[in-house]
Amino acid sequence: MMHRRMLLGGLAAAPLLGATTARAQAFPSRDLLGVIQWGAGGATDVTGRAVTPHVEAALGQKIVLQNRTGGTGAIGLTYVHGLPSDGYTLLYGAENPLLYKVLNISRLDYTDFTPICLLARSVPVIVANKDKPWNSLKELVEDMRRNPGRIRMASTGPGGQAHVVSTMLASTGPFRHISIPFDGEGPGLTALQGGHADWMTVGSGAVAEHVRAGRVKALAVFNDAPLPSLPNVPPATADYPELARLMPWGSFYGVWAKKDIPAEAREKLVAAFRTGTANPQFTQLMTGNGNVVMNTSGAEAEAFLARWQSVTAWILQEAGAARTDPATLNIPRPS
Amino acid sequence: MTEQIGFFLLSWLDPSLLALTAAGTLAGIYIGAIPGLSVTMAASILISFTFTWEVNAALALIAGVFTGGVYGGSRSAILLNIPGAPAAIATALDGYPLARRGEAGVAIGLSTVMSVIGGFVGIIALAVAAPVISDFALLFAPRDYLLLAVMGLLLVGTMSGESLAKGLFAGALGVALGMVGLDPMTAEGRFTLGTVQLMAGIPYVAAMIGFFGVSEALVQLHNLRVKPVKQDVSRIVPPWHLVRKYLPLSLRSSLIGVVIGALPGTGGDIAALMAYDQAKRTVKNPSRPFGEGAYEGLIAPESANNAAVGGAYVPMLTLGIPGDAVTAVIIGALFIHGLKPGPMLMIETPHLFWFTVGNLTLANIFLLVFGLTGIRAFAKLVECPPSVLIPLILVLSVVGTYAIQNSVVDVYFMLGFGIFGYLLKMYGFQVGPVVLGMILGPMIDVSWRRAVISVGDDLGFFVEEAFASPLTLVLLAFMSFLLLSQVPFGALWRRLRGQPPG
Repeated sequence: MMHRRMLLGGLAAAPLLGATTARAQAFPSRDLLGVIQWGAGGATDVTGRAVTPHVEAALGQKIVLQNRTGGTGAIGLTYVHGLPSDGYTLLYGAENPLLYKVLNISRLDYTDFTPICLLARSVPVIVANKDKPWNSLKELVEDMRRNPGRIRMASTGPGGQAHVVSTMLASTGPFRHISIPFDGEGPGLTALQGGHADWMTVGSGAVAEHVRAGRVKALAVFNDAPLPSLPNVPPATADYPELARLMPWGSFYGVWAKKDIPAEAREKLVAAFRTGTANPQFTQLMTGNGNVVMNTSGAEAEAFLARWQSVTAWILQEAGAARTDPATLNIPRPS
Repeated sequence: MTEQIGFFLLSWLDPSLLALTAAGTLAGIYIGAIPGLSVTMAASILISFTFTWEVNAALALIAGVFTGGVYGGSRSAILLNIPGAPAAIATALDGYPLARRGEAGVAIGLSTVMSVIGGFVGIIALAVAAPVISDFALLFAPRDYLLLAVMGLLLVGTMSGESLAKGLFAGALGVALGMVGLDPMTAEGRFTLGTVQLMAGIPYVAAMIGFFGVSEALVQLHNLRVKPVKQDVSRIVPPWHLVRKYLPLSLRSSLIGVVIGALPGTGGDIAALMAYDQAKRTVKNPSRPFGEGAYEGLIAPESANNAAVGGAYVPMLTLGIPGDAVTAVIIGALFIHGLKPGPMLMIETPHLFWFTVGNLTLANIFLLVFGLTGIRAFAKLVECPPSVLIPLILVLSVVGTYAIQNSVVDVYFMLGFGIFGYLLKMYGFQVGPVVLGMILGPMIDVSWRRAVISVGDDLGFFVEEAFASPLTLVLLAFMSFLLLSQVPFGALWRRLRGQPPG
């Protein structure tokens, strides 16, 4: 009996001991937890897992990664928000939280967090089923205007890349199409190849190999210049120059921590991620797959996020797809 | 050809790859056997872990874990009535009754051999017909997924036990539970009561552990004084005549497994359930009635879920499209290792294909070895007195549920479902249909809506398209047959004529 009491006493003391040593030692003195908003094998997951080993080397501690999915990423974000602001928990996220308040998904979003590093962004590619007659973005858009409500687009749900890009395209002049929500880019791309959808917008990373193999037809990249990984695909601005005001636009992947973490921890994390993201192995991986490495933090990252949110929220509002008016959320109109 | 054989034998001849495949398979069996620890989770942890390794080593390890893990789920399903993974739900239906009869050893031995046979069918399909199967899988439109899911839901009829009405109630309850969470198509909250915890839905693995494991433990409390059944462990390796007798059933089930596994929207869990249903419908004279310890009810799902492993690799290797959650993680692993998963993978890195085929073959051989050793000790587990076994089940259930996503809320759900499942069982409701409804309900929901959205809500266009597709017609005809073959027309006719049934 004595033994058991001693053991329990020792266990109870252990966290206290840990806390005092943590305070005495410099950050980070133990393993970190990285919560990934999206599922295993997805773009956020893969980008996060590819950069983390390089960051661990710079940080001198392990980052234990864990997928916490659901609620278009709101579950993972809320979970991290509920943990202590000690810098030991990171959120590996994507662009979605910037639209949570506009789409009434969650009351928490990135305003409660500070960006540690924006890792990379993907460029949307507009692709069609390979048997479809369209050979340019203009032909697709004009066909949708001629045949309203007949042409099928695979989407990834409200606020997703496909939904926003089609709304942006419709800002050049309205058209009506069928939008079928799938569970993600992968399932959408599968349906596209099976002929169950006619066109969709996919991140460059997910689609590059399918384009190269000729399984799908790339009509345009949603960018103001061609991509090095898809040099023969024209930019969307070639057909619709007015889209340039909305660019650059697309999914992006980054790492966040709670806003009120200690300044020392934030500086160490920012520096470690800057080094890790600059690792040539990671940059080659990203660019080879058609992504654009960002490696931005601090004010530059805040500005990027604010602009992205403003452009996207207002285009959804104009299309009637926003559930809360961005004006009431103090999201400024894009200038 | 010699080159391909070289790639095939790569992991057989390299001692370190051989050891990794063996270690992966062994680890997979235990990961699979512990409810809550999933192969998907193990594979994604392995990716971080094997980041600095050579890609072949990482793939060998993952292939082993995948093969072992899908099989491992049957262990806890047979011994404790807790399916270690969703793919083993169907295994529990007849496996656990076998253990209660003192045949746990035979059941594990038989499920091992049948899993390996299923595994080989999957590998052969992958090696011989991968491009054909993946093109076939692409043909499935949302309406076809709907038909598949509805066919799966017909299983409620075979899982209902004493009363069909009670089975239907349990199935409908499961469908309703499956609807909780953010609507996957509009991100609108459903039954979330405004809480974030419910936004991701109720994890059906937590429900599964509660309904099967905890509720069974509570039922056992009623017969604490009953002496545990003595387990017969004299014969572990199933006799050859038994294997030969069930080979046709195993092959049939394996084919179902390959196709369902290759479909990007379905995996080993649905494959096993459909194979179980198929067995129940086609086997005229089972060794015992289904649900009471029929060998057939064990063989069909175990062959199918391991065949689904090979099936899942088919679209992944040929098109870069994941066949299930685990292959989605493998695609991520290939990408991190600098390869380009996609339709060009087989053309640009052909060695990867044959390497994987060789690996899976090897993993299945190890599965046979590891699966058939140590059964005696495992089977004796069931002989433990209830005072040891019941707490063990409860602890395992709590730990396993917590491991799904380190969430205490899931543990509360699991315990709640355990108590609720106990009450259901006391009143003659089966818990199987609840879990079935939770798995298939959401699939029916999204497939139906996708199918209707696809035609712009135009019913005429829907019918026109459905009849233009041979695949839809075949599925529709098959489903009608399943339904009509179960309707007792004679009795209905007599009742209409006012004659007494007889």
